[in-house]
Amino acid sequence: MTSYVSLPMYGANIDERMRLIAGKCKSCGQLAYPQRPVCTKCGGDQFDDTPLSGNGTLYTYSVVAGNGAPSEFDDEQTMTGDVLCGVVELKEGPRVMVRLADVDPEQLHIGMKLRAVIRRLYDQEGFLRYGTKFEPVGS
Amino acid sequence: MVDVAVIGVGQTRYGMFPERTLKDLFHEAAINALNDVDKGLDPQDVEEAFIGTLSTGGAQLGNFAPLMMEAAGMIGASARHIENACASSGFAMRDAVAAIASGRTNIAVAGGIEKMSDLPREKNRLWLGISGDVEWERLAGTNFAGIYAMMARRHMHEFGTEKKHITMAAVKNRNNALANPKAQFRAALEFDRAMKAPNLASPLTFSDACGITDGASMVILCRADMAKNFTDQPVLVVGSGGASDYVAIHDRPSMTTLEGTKRAAKQAYSMAGITADDIDFAEVHDCFAIAELLAYEDLGFCEKGDAGKYIESGATARDGKRPVNNSGGLIAKGHPIGSTGTGQICEVVNQLRGRADTAERQLQNVGYGLTQNVGGSGAAVAVHVLKAVE
Repeated sequence: MTSYVSLPMYGANIDERMRLIAGKCKSCGQLAYPQRPVCTKCGGDQFDDTPLSGNGTLYTYSVVAGNGAPSEFDDEQTMTGDVLCGVVELKEGPRVMVRLADVDPEQLHIGMKLRAVIRRLYDQEGFLRYGTKFEPVGS
Repeated sequence: MVDVAVIGVGQTRYGMFPERTLKDLFHEAAINALNDVDKGLDPQDVEEAFIGTLSTGGAQLGNFAPLMMEAAGMIGASARHIENACASSGFAMRDAVAAIASGRTNIAVAGGIEKMSDLPREKNRLWLGISGDVEWERLAGTNFAGIYAMMARRHMHEFGTEKKHITMAAVKNRNNALANPKAQFRAALEFDRAMKAPNLASPLTFSDACGITDGASMVILCRADMAKNFTDQPVLVVGSGGASDYVAIHDRPSMTTLEGTKRAAKQAYSMAGITADDIDFAEVHDCFAIAELLAYEDLGFCEKGDAGKYIESGATARDGKRPVNNSGGLIAKGHPIGSTGTGQICEVVNQLRGRADTAERQLQNVGYGLTQNVGGSGAAVAVHVLKAVE
């Protein structure tokens, strides 16, 4: 089953995704991550690339039961069972939906400290897809 | 603006009908709606049609509405496909109301359909996962259950809501559906058993979720000043609201409020000249049980954060002060994506006309009924308020 995140679509924001590059609004300084064409605070549409630290805290999460995640994750789910997803609130302010890595479901709690790591998501269309996941600090 | 009335509604049974076709299902909804117009309506007199669907896995993406109108025997009408994920036919309803209110059209239909049993399970998962902010939410490996689960966890964290409150909504709706012959799931669900159901996306379990459903529905509308030509029991569309919001929940300032519901409800109440207190009963979008609790708050039925206490009070039960999802809701009546919005209108219209299919679930002394139809996790919301003509 093919993914709806096509290779070109995946490639178009690869820096933003893998290197955590946010957009800083030139008018008001508000950070946008994921990046967006228009600033939610002031309506400005000019941004400077700004790398984020990759540190944050868990804002909310869910343990998605086996075979519930999108079908491109089937191989991984067959091997690992559940998929752990959450929203991380980054130290710099923005929130983003992420995969959680190297953590037991029982350890998860709102407010736990996390940091970004590059991990394999799945392989498709002949390419390994890597992406940013978040793991507990200290693991 | 011209006043708008509903003169007939029709819905198929909701369920899994692999042996039936899209055309066959839509035809049944149309015939039921036409038969519901007491004094009759020539199908050729329908001037405009708005058909909601997520397109059944892409099986029929182009010219969906003309094909369905063909199946309905309403050939020639200006027909178009309306898509806003699970809120597709709530917005089809809104556009049909607008077409008549503007004075452009005398008679219009709003309809909706989905046929999910035609898709293999993996394709259903593929297809259902592309109504969020795909580049971010999908690549995080979540499905919609996971997204609503994350909203539920925040609600529990911020307001002390308990898992039992969430499951109470599912149990209420499943048991309401026992009396609804058109509902998909008509088996009683006991609270204790529901609390022990397997994990779907924590904290939600399989008991807290809707299923995979086939079904179709149609609403026939006309200028209110023409309605008596068709029925002695028209139902007025007194309020219509629609709004959108950030698609991904991580972009919203709050994950425990659907701003789209608040905005759409404000418009609908304002148009009707009423407040939330005036709503006697409602059909709300309980794709996952937490969504019903959020709807109580965002529609103004209770204070922010109090949804757990509100459901525990019994206020939204069939015999409560303000019954919610007396039909069984999406969880038990079923959620054939594109049909859900107009299916909710069918239910409210039947209740207001005293035409519930079984006496057991006919609500008494109801004046204003509300529908709330949500696309995705709140990216698009349509709210309607209907009222029986005195």
